[in-house]
Amino acid sequence: MSTTSTIPVQKPLTERIEPYIAIIGPMVMILAILLFMGAAEPTRYFRVTNINLILLDVALYLPMAMAMTFVITQRGIDLSIGSIAALSSILMAFLVKQYGFSIYVGVPLAILFGAFMGLINGLIITRFNVPDLIGTLAMDLVYRGFALVIAKGLVLARFPDFLTEIGRGQITGFIPIPVVIGIATMIAGYWALRKTYFGRYTIAIGSDPEAAALTGISVNRYKVYAYVLSGAAAALAGLMLTGKLNAVQATSAPLFNLHVIAAVVVGGTSLFGGRASMIGSFCGCLLLAMMINALVTLRIEFFWQSVASGVVIIGSVALYSWIQKKDRDGSGGVLAALQTPDGQKMLRFSALLIGLLIALLALGGIFAVTPGASG
Amino acid sequence: MSEPLASMRGITKRFGGVTALSGVDLDAYAGEVLAIVGDNGAGKSTLIKVLTGVYQPTEGDIYLAGEKIEFASHADAAEQGIDAVYQTLALADHLDPAANMFLGNELTKKVLGITVLDNKRMRSETERVLMERLGVKLKSLDAPTESLSGGQRQAVAIARAVYHEGLRVLVMDEPTAALGPQETARTLKLIMNLKAQGLAVILISHSLDDVFEVSDRIHVQRRGQCAGVVKTAESTTQEVLGLIVGAEEAA
Repeated sequence: MSTTSTIPVQKPLTERIEPYIAIIGPMVMILAILLFMGAAEPTRYFRVTNINLILLDVALYLPMAMAMTFVITQRGIDLSIGSIAALSSILMAFLVKQYGFSIYVGVPLAILFGAFMGLINGLIITRFNVPDLIGTLAMDLVYRGFALVIAKGLVLARFPDFLTEIGRGQITGFIPIPVVIGIATMIAGYWALRKTYFGRYTIAIGSDPEAAALTGISVNRYKVYAYVLSGAAAALAGLMLTGKLNAVQATSAPLFNLHVIAAVVVGGTSLFGGRASMIGSFCGCLLLAMMINALVTLRIEFFWQSVASGVVIIGSVALYSWIQKKDRDGSGGVLAALQTPDGQKMLRFSALLIGLLIALLALGGIFAVTPGASG
Repeated sequence: MSEPLASMRGITKRFGGVTALSGVDLDAYAGEVLAIVGDNGAGKSTLIKVLTGVYQPTEGDIYLAGEKIEFASHADAAEQGIDAVYQTLALADHLDPAANMFLGNELTKKVLGITVLDNKRMRSETERVLMERLGVKLKSLDAPTESLSGGQRQAVAIARAVYHEGLRVLVMDEPTAALGPQETARTLKLIMNLKAQGLAVILISHSLDDVFEVSDRIHVQRRGQCAGVVKTAESTTQEVLGLIVGAEEAA
């Protein structure tokens, strides 16, 4: 009855590899680390105990990375996961150690506390129209504050076996229990992204919120769901960390936020929404854990890991932006950019700033005196 | 001609003190393409938004197959068989065509008592609807919608509307505005296919070339009123342009 018209689809190479970039990117970097460590420190890096350490570190971040993949795909961000992890574990610790709760009640309760904190985040963002970044940043302060108020400077330690099993237990002859938990959450996330309303609408909302709303999707409800998932996952990670160290304090898990966001973004999930990669997030977690472990193995000072994480985030986001840029104008790179009038002004401005910096440092150096006790 | 499928009688719509439509009549017949043309601000968009339930008329009635109806919302109108494809298409670019076609209305199945999305069936249904109703075959149903051409995206958006078995009136708002000549020709062909299937198609367009190519009748809006309805075959571009700018009444 109707005529057929086949509309040809032409695809350049960059577009054909684009769906796999999320996995190729971190995989290449993982391979680079493996090769480098194979040359530099093969015996210490590839020891079974060290591989176990890496796996335990990966496992800790997997549940949060899974949840954060949903949040970021919806164009959101959750900066409160570190504090949620600490606060929910502290609440659990008090209930178990102070009030004699069973650990079997305490653990699910902690996860529900986390989910509840996520619910508060979600409601603040959707009902009060507070932007995600500010809303979760502020709630991060609130949750951390509560943790400090409750725990003061106390370190709560020595928990029942169930919790340490979650944190560092080992299935004999196999892999650690936290690794099983982490991978299970990842698989669940992968499945949810593909097979559930939540996953489908998460991508739709991130892709085009107005279009999603037009088709009758309750955008705000699904945003709240993502934050609840994020809160619950953070609480689970908090329990795993508490079990691993067999101790918890108010200042636990300070760097969860950026570490998890880095892992997700390195894995190719777009901060601009709509593009999700659960496998990419998994690879991102693996990459960061291997990188930090490599720094430790190479006896580089611990504090450098913060520098390395930051560089990896900027590097990968810049790379993805470049790959996904639809209209590359072929302006001829950095040199050509510097020749434009605007580039020239920027160059002069930067030169002025650096010049001032050097001048002041030199001035300080010339007039420096032997340092004495001050005050 | 026989009984109109959808008709609007004496539609008036006021927004506060502004009268966007005053006493407009419109008839759409099954198996016919009715074009609505007019200058910016002539009331084309308001008129179709009243028809598709986005706005409720201040005065006037809408009849569908002879029965008087009232829509509380756009979803209500779609339920009763009047749907629209908007210029923006409302597609989620990162999802594949099947996911888009069923967005907000997914097919599901039960696996171990859990409701999950039935991606396989949604894919085959999408393929079927695109082929049978629109005569369009996409090379790949796996690629995200953003990688499709403008005409293919249009086809996916139309497929979403026509998938509803009860669809009788389809409103298309500027479907060719963002398309090149080839894509435009394909979209016009889609419109002819839908007409052949007995739908009443209402086409809003700025392009008189397109209008004269596919429409059966042309409804001209001018300053919130109907300036005239002409049969396309018996009219000329000059006459329609005259109605749009109001030259006839000045002469």
